[in-house]
Amino acid sequence: MTILGTAFGMVFYLLQVVSGESGYAQNGDLEDAELDDYYSFSCYSQLEVNRSHHSLTCTFDDPDINSTNLELEICGALLEINCLNFTKLQEVYYIKTKKFLLIGDSEICVKLGEKSITCKKMNIVKIVKPEAPFNISVVYREGANDFVVTFNTSHLQKKYVKNLMHDVAYRQEKVENNWMHVNLSSTKLTLLQRKLQDDAMYEIKVRSIPYSSDYFEGFWSEWSPSYHFRTPETKRAEETDPVLLTISISSFFSVAVLVILACVLWKRRIKPIVWPSLPDHKKTLEQLCKKPRKNLNVSFNPESFLDCQIHKVDGIQSQDEMEGFLQEAFPPQPEESEKQRLGGGVQDPNGSPEHTVITPETFRRESPLECLAGNGSACDATILPCPRSPESDENGPHVYQGLLLNPGTTNNIPPPPFPLQSGILTLNPIAQGQPILTSLGPSPEEAYVTMSSFYQNQ
Amino acid sequence: MFHVSFRYIFGIPPLILVLLPVASSDCDIEGQDGKEYESVLMISIDELLDSMKEIGSNCLNNESNFFKKHLCDDNKEGTFLYRAARKLKQFRKMNNSDNFDHHLSMVSQGTLQLLNCTSKVKGRKSPSLSEAQPTKNLEENKSLKEQKKQNGLCFLKRLIQKIKTCWNKILRGTKEH
Repeated sequence: MTILGTAFGMVFYLLQVVSGESGYAQNGDLEDAELDDYYSFSCYSQLEVNRSHHSLTCTFDDPDINSTNLELEICGALLEINCLNFTKLQEVYYIKTKKFLLIGDSEICVKLGEKSITCKKMNIVKIVKPEAPFNISVVYREGANDFVVTFNTSHLQKKYVKNLMHDVAYRQEKVENNWMHVNLSSTKLTLLQRKLQDDAMYEIKVRSIPYSSDYFEGFWSEWSPSYHFRTPETKRAEETDPVLLTISISSFFSVAVLVILACVLWKRRIKPIVWPSLPDHKKTLEQLCKKPRKNLNVSFNPESFLDCQIHKVDGIQSQDEMEGFLQEAFPPQPEESEKQRLGGGVQDPNGSPEHTVITPETFRRESPLECLAGNGSACDATILPCPRSPESDENGPHVYQGLLLNPGTTNNIPPPPFPLQSGILTLNPIAQGQPILTSLGPSPEEAYVTMSSFYQNQ
Repeated sequence: MFHVSFRYIFGIPPLILVLLPVASSDCDIEGQDGKEYESVLMISIDELLDSMKEIGSNCLNNESNFFKKHLCDDNKEGTFLYRAARKLKQFRKMNNSDNFDHHLSMVSQGTLQLLNCTSKVKGRKSPSLSEAQPTKNLEENKSLKEQKKQNGLCFLKRLIQKIKTCWNKILRGTKEH
């Protein structure tokens, strides 16, 4: 019995010892979990950091850990070898090699001597940390009023990790922690001036991360060295404004003046040129006939003619002109009424025929028709060419049967200038029964006046 | 009529059973989405082909026995790639540059990493490149060596090209599906 009891005791003791070393299921898990937490570490890889060599860097998460005898080892997804040991640099574990396969998972273990304490599965291509960008610069474009930000990255020349996402961060130096972020895939960025403060100092930096949709994934790189730049003042813009202002004001005023002038001169000047009116006989006639001066003393009293030099008209000296003039005139026979009018016109109110001489000079000088046309009465006068009377000599004076006066007319139309060169107009008394007028072809001026007087009589 | 149906019932199923292993693929291919190939393998393949541009003008046109034996047939792409990758390994450390050997290793080992072949495929031993030659005088050995090297490079270039073609075929098939 005692032997049996001793044997059972031994067995139980052995069981306890064995279970103590390996641990109960629950206790073992806890210890492993604690070990994992205690010896937890994180790693990142950098591909082609030195030509074709890659690097892998690992550190323990707990900075207080005593890593004196701890080593790290990576196994799997390696070329031609099974495992590689890390090199320890102070608290950082580092590998630089080109033997990463870049396909498949690797296992990184924490080793204490030859014993692996904890292991972690990792894929080298999923923990890529790009190299920090560099050479960031900002150039101000005055014409475009913007800032062009450019930077460089070593990944542009790499074969594996080529596609990166960049994060450009900028802030005004006086304002703390007010970073503005811009994401882009290229190495060039444009910042608009109006989105920045004028005359202020700005700080700008950039970092990169592998493109999420790419085969390679990982973490943000370190920030590039910061670049400082100052935004320009707006004085230059203000200086140019007065010039523009004056130009705009002057142009506005000139346009306004033009518009006013156009409105004012529209009827008188502009419209006749733009829309000329058709000539109207009546209006033209009115324009031709000058209005008499005011306070014009006109009377038919002979005494008022005292100032007028009246000369006896014997004949006109230039016979050639007379003949030419007569030839031009039509030789219709005048009517009796006209003859009577003619005759009456030149007769002396006393009845005695008189030689009334009207020289061309006087005719022109004094504008006898002007004298006669007083009181706004008609100035209708026609000087009819007088044909030669059969009784007169050839050399005798040619007679122009005088002035045709129509007192009834009211038109103040001056007679057309009579083309008398020289000579004296002789008005002979009308012989009875003798046709005085043979060529009474209406001249255009005569017909004009006649029609006007006819219109006035009506 | 009765013997015809009897033949169909008892003849065809065994035939299918016999042909099934022949028609099925011995190797499963991972990374058929093309990410591993385009991001890693294709870079090394292009580097190798770039460095072998001059090789080809002196190569013989006759097809090697290897290519007559192993083809990138339908459903046999994985097997071909397995055999080709293992063959590629043999060309390492043949007086090549480090960079050349590195890319050779990347292609061969990267391809093998993506293949999951059965023991039937893995079990076959690939023939070695070098064969036993009878002893000859030094001069003849030298020329033979040079010729062998030239033939080897021609074969290597052809092999890398075949691997590239086969990968493209696999990815094309994946995109079509």
